[in-house]
Amino acid sequence: MTAVTDAPHRHRPPRAARVVPLTAARLLRVELRRNAMPWVLPLIAALFWFDSYRPSTGQPPLWVLRTFWNMGQGGTIIDFGPFVAGVAAWMGSRDGRRGTFDLVTATAGPRWAAQLATWAATAIWAVAAYLAFVSVMFGVYAGQGVQGSPPWWWVAVGAVAVTAFSAAGFAVGAFFPSRFAAPLAAFGGFLAMVLSSQTGFRSPSGWALILPTNSNGNYQPVSGIFYPYLPDLPIARVMFLAGIAVAAVGLLGLPPRAGGPWPRRAAAVVMLAGVAAAGTGVGLADTARLGSHGMVIPALHDAASDRPIRYTPACGHAAGVPVCLNPAYRRYLTDVTAALRPVLAEVAGLPGAPARVTQVAGMYSSGTGEAGPPVTIGGRPPVLRVPLDTLATLPGAIGFTATRETTTQFADILRALAVHAFVGAGAGAGTSAQQAVQAALLHGAGLPFAAQPKLLAIARNGQGPEPGPAAGPVYAAARRLAALPGAARHAWLAAHLAALRSGRLTLGQLP
Amino acid sequence: MTAAGIRRPPPATVPAPAARPAIAGVRLAWLHAVSRRAPAALVLLAALGGLLWTALHWHWNIAGGPAAKQLLPLMIEAGAAAVIAVTTYGPFGEPERATGRWLPWLRLGAAIALTAAAFGALAAGATGGLLPGGTLALLRNLAGMAGAGLLSAVAAGGAFGWVGPMAYWLVTESALAAGWTTPWIWPARPPHDRGAAICAALVFAAGAVAITVRGARTSARE
Repeated sequence: MTAVTDAPHRHRPPRAARVVPLTAARLLRVELRRNAMPWVLPLIAALFWFDSYRPSTGQPPLWVLRTFWNMGQGGTIIDFGPFVAGVAAWMGSRDGRRGTFDLVTATAGPRWAAQLATWAATAIWAVAAYLAFVSVMFGVYAGQGVQGSPPWWWVAVGAVAVTAFSAAGFAVGAFFPSRFAAPLAAFGGFLAMVLSSQTGFRSPSGWALILPTNSNGNYQPVSGIFYPYLPDLPIARVMFLAGIAVAAVGLLGLPPRAGGPWPRRAAAVVMLAGVAAAGTGVGLADTARLGSHGMVIPALHDAASDRPIRYTPACGHAAGVPVCLNPAYRRYLTDVTAALRPVLAEVAGLPGAPARVTQVAGMYSSGTGEAGPPVTIGGRPPVLRVPLDTLATLPGAIGFTATRETTTQFADILRALAVHAFVGAGAGAGTSAQQAVQAALLHGAGLPFAAQPKLLAIARNGQGPEPGPAAGPVYAAARRLAALPGAARHAWLAAHLAALRSGRLTLGQLP
Repeated sequence: MTAAGIRRPPPATVPAPAARPAIAGVRLAWLHAVSRRAPAALVLLAALGGLLWTALHWHWNIAGGPAAKQLLPLMIEAGAAAVIAVTTYGPFGEPERATGRWLPWLRLGAAIALTAAAFGALAAGATGGLLPGGTLALLRNLAGMAGAGLLSAVAAGGAFGWVGPMAYWLVTESALAAGWTTPWIWPARPPHDRGAAICAALVFAAGAVAITVRGARTSARE
């Protein structure tokens, strides 16, 4: 008897405590092996390539532009989410379709735990596939030399969105077990995304910013190049989507067949926590305001995110004037110098002529496109500041339109904007005299009068209705100025530029 | 006490000898439809018609050009095609195949009847407003997508037949945005376009033939 009492006591965990995690792990492994999600992944991969990757290849090689559709407007979520919801609904409806409710309810463990294992396996497959596909896509982008930095926060939003779709779809299947549960869950997913796009395209502020397809005011080209992507809105979206997932999972545990009183109480708490998280996310998004480089949510904002990204500019020369760009735009340096060369040569030696050209960061606007400050001239010595990211005219195809932006059009627009800044016309069209001098200088820089009205309209407003011909008093005065000998024109400009920029010069005072 | 009378059926339930095959045929078709949940499918198709009516009446449009205006009606048509595809799922498997002499014709009949019902429901829903392309485009788009659904049911199983129309809708969305005009993306072509109509008809015919001959694939995953 003493031998027993003297034996060293070994602290062993209770049997049940060891068995439960092991059983859960085995259950999860079985569910992973028996899951239907892998069967749909090849189709999703093909759609992902077709709908998310393929259209992006026409965009300029900057991360924020390449990923505008597939991350900024939630394209990858549209490709993934509804299919994941459909398959999850199929998995969730399994017991109901097979009529095994009574059988599984009589087992030792709560039904909710078994459902969680099935859902977890479905979600693991879906999220792992999402991350794998996005990784491959980003790897291809990196191999293509895409510049800037990847939008990691939006990847996190996508992964959580896929989780939310899986949970919501699973709940649909569990509560409405039928062969129609899967197509209805998928259809509901697509409908939600379409209506989300409809609302998102129209809503640059307010609660609608929570929608993962809404890029209004929160995914513009200054991000990832001059400033980091602001994580405020993605964090709110993660809260919202995670809340939906948690609420759906909690909902599964509420029916009496899900388990005893304790699991059901726990499920109720989980569901309420999910609803609270989702509501908090919506509330936070509602407080968002547009900052100069992204959406700021005061409760979530970290001032460290406002620090600009340091860089060493890439420089060249045009007509003896240094032209410096952000290194992310290095491949456009030749185009920019070639575009500005005739303009800089035309105005060389005149008062206020740029001594340097430098690329500056644009500012966020409330729309989907960026409309920050125009090209400006300022400082001593004068510097021509060019926010290239606001132009949306980089050589290359633009998004879905398949309309290739030619190098010639890019150059002409840049010349027009530079001359517009030089004559002091500001944000509008300028005075009649400023318009006439602008037209004469553009003509001197190689842009025919006939082509100018359309080009100026595009430079100011993008593609729009066809403007009128290059006629009228403004173009008549411009033609007279352009007809002067170069030295005479130069001398007249040197004498009158100050008055022209201040707006005091009238059209009749032109030579 | 004798049981002799019980074995004798009541006179009213005994069909006339000539009517028996017809009634049996109707009963077989009805049982097949019920086993495929066709009544529930009809309810869903009617609901999709109602959704189309609501979307058109209340102008649920995506911002953008004419292509964007097609997306929602096309999605509802894809939903109807998905419902048709899922009805091909049969719970009986091999025994049904082994004993059902009329099974291929029943499958064909069910697919065509449900497609016709879907067209009727959506055409009724289209009265809610201006449907892009009109009824002719609706028939073409729905038939083509139903064919895609039937083909995917043959390839992936009846339970997963819905992935075909949904995937087609997603491809169409991208193609419309890119301005593609290939006839295989039939919603991108005008309603009277012959090439698009031929492509949609071919896909529907291929789906109908495949579902008749092969039936929906039976998978252990189902």
